[in-house]
Amino acid sequence: MGILRETGWLLQKEFLLEWRNKFALSGILLYVFSTIFIVYLAFFNVDPRTWNALFWIIVLFAAVNAAVKSFAQENSQRQLYYYTLVNPIAVILSKILYNIGLLFLISLLTWLGFGFVADNPVKDPGQFVLVIFLGSLGFAIAFTFISAISAKANNNATLMAIMSFPVIIPVLLTLIKLSANALRILQDTDIGTDITVLVSINMMLLGMALLLYPFLWRG
Amino acid sequence: MKKNWWKILGVLLLLYVLTVGMLIPLKPGIVEVIPGSVRTGDQIDLKVLGYNSFYSLAKKPIRAWLKLDDDRALQASDVKVTSDRQLAIRFDIPDYLPINTKVQDFALVLDSDADGPSILPSAVFVTQDSIDPEMGLQVWKNSPIDQLTSKNILTFPFRNILSETIRNTYFHVSLWLSMMIIFIGSVGTSIGYLRTNNLDFDRKAKALTVAGFLFGLLGLTTGAIWANYTWGQPWSNDVKQITTAIALLIYGAYFILRSAFEDEEQKARISAIYNIFAFVTLIPLLYVIPRMTDSLHPGAGGNPAFGSQDLDSTMRMIFYPAVIGWALIGLWMAQLLYRVDRIRAKLLDLH
Repeated sequence: MGILRETGWLLQKEFLLEWRNKFALSGILLYVFSTIFIVYLAFFNVDPRTWNALFWIIVLFAAVNAAVKSFAQENSQRQLYYYTLVNPIAVILSKILYNIGLLFLISLLTWLGFGFVADNPVKDPGQFVLVIFLGSLGFAIAFTFISAISAKANNNATLMAIMSFPVIIPVLLTLIKLSANALRILQDTDIGTDITVLVSINMMLLGMALLLYPFLWRG
Repeated sequence: MKKNWWKILGVLLLLYVLTVGMLIPLKPGIVEVIPGSVRTGDQIDLKVLGYNSFYSLAKKPIRAWLKLDDDRALQASDVKVTSDRQLAIRFDIPDYLPINTKVQDFALVLDSDADGPSILPSAVFVTQDSIDPEMGLQVWKNSPIDQLTSKNILTFPFRNILSETIRNTYFHVSLWLSMMIIFIGSVGTSIGYLRTNNLDFDRKAKALTVAGFLFGLLGLTTGAIWANYTWGQPWSNDVKQITTAIALLIYGAYFILRSAFEDEEQKARISAIYNIFAFVTLIPLLYVIPRMTDSLHPGAGGNPAFGSQDLDSTMRMIFYPAVIGWALIGLWMAQLLYRVDRIRAKLLDLH
């Protein structure tokens, strides 16, 4: 498959760029840890319910900040160069895959950092990791696509926020419910339905992103 | 005339909805029963307050039951008509009830040949002094509810709490449905733009989104007014209220996005892409998330589903025309906006 090989090459390029300037990851990590520290200083005692809400807010803002960079570093000449070489689906797919990895790492480190300063209320780590992974999937797909749109409007940060927050709310609501279950704040016997809903929302977003990106890139 | 038939149809349908939907009376119903709680062994006189009822016009004596479940009911020993709106009903509550619970709610069922049957769920709570279902079975004088009068006059159902506000169905619910129709049209024109690159499609998509957004705001407002009377406050953080507000935020972002571009072609292409993406994310927001959470709306969290009980055949006669009427008026508004946009573009080209 041509697209898969192209995606592989582009993904390798993303990691290489990241490795060379260590800009995105280190910037975001510093952002996450300073946010965690501010939140901790503001709250001191964080009960599990607040922990759950704060965790997802930290991850959400870190995710927006991480994803907004996915198209910012590509100048128009390089875009044109890609345009002559590869399939647009490979471009968006490689960015999404890279962001999934990045956001998953960020959420795990947020968990580690927030758990370190404000205790760790997670009762079911396996389930929590699954929830975090599904969350990174949803955030990465939606935010990568929205950042592709906002890149066309000169990387307007306000636009990125107002477009991505309402779009991500269905994913976020399901995530908070699922992670509340992993924290044992609420007991849900029917957790499978929620996971199915989350996976299908993610798949739907992915389908739309892959379908619409070729039109976006034509400009 | 030939070209504009749908505008005339829209106006006529809405006039029909406004007049007929407001004029048809509600079915007679029961507003209040005093006292609301009694003890076993009592002989009680219930004061019943009716709504839209004509008790004094009844030719045959009015019958009344306290209904325990589908098979068991207790008939009144005496029904006195005080006025058209008031009844005094005497019940002999037995010493024991054939059930295990300490407190049991009974529905009050009335049947009069002038008004037809009416019911008030959980009208009377009966407290048992001592529980003995065996004794209860022996002393229970069961009189099944049968031979109810059937009336064939044009009425809307009387539902407790809702009462006259049930007419808001023709505004709140049908505005909401026609908003969805208009948004689907807007997505259709956005797809049309991406396929043809014809700027007229983009203007249509924008005009339809404006009209749909207006209907969304109106749907939210009519809902808040309705909620003020039925749920006690205009905003109760109900899941559907929240998801609706989010849906409006998504479309608000669409307008901001449009204003961020100078170039017409780029504005058209990117806002078309966002419009399609936003519409797809609306589907889980409006149709999946509300089903997973408790809601005060009908059709969620144990509330009866819309359509089976809330919409009887008389209401359907008004409701469906209302949906079509609102959708046509929305289309008309969108058409006007589209024309203004096109004229503006032409004038700008001339200068």
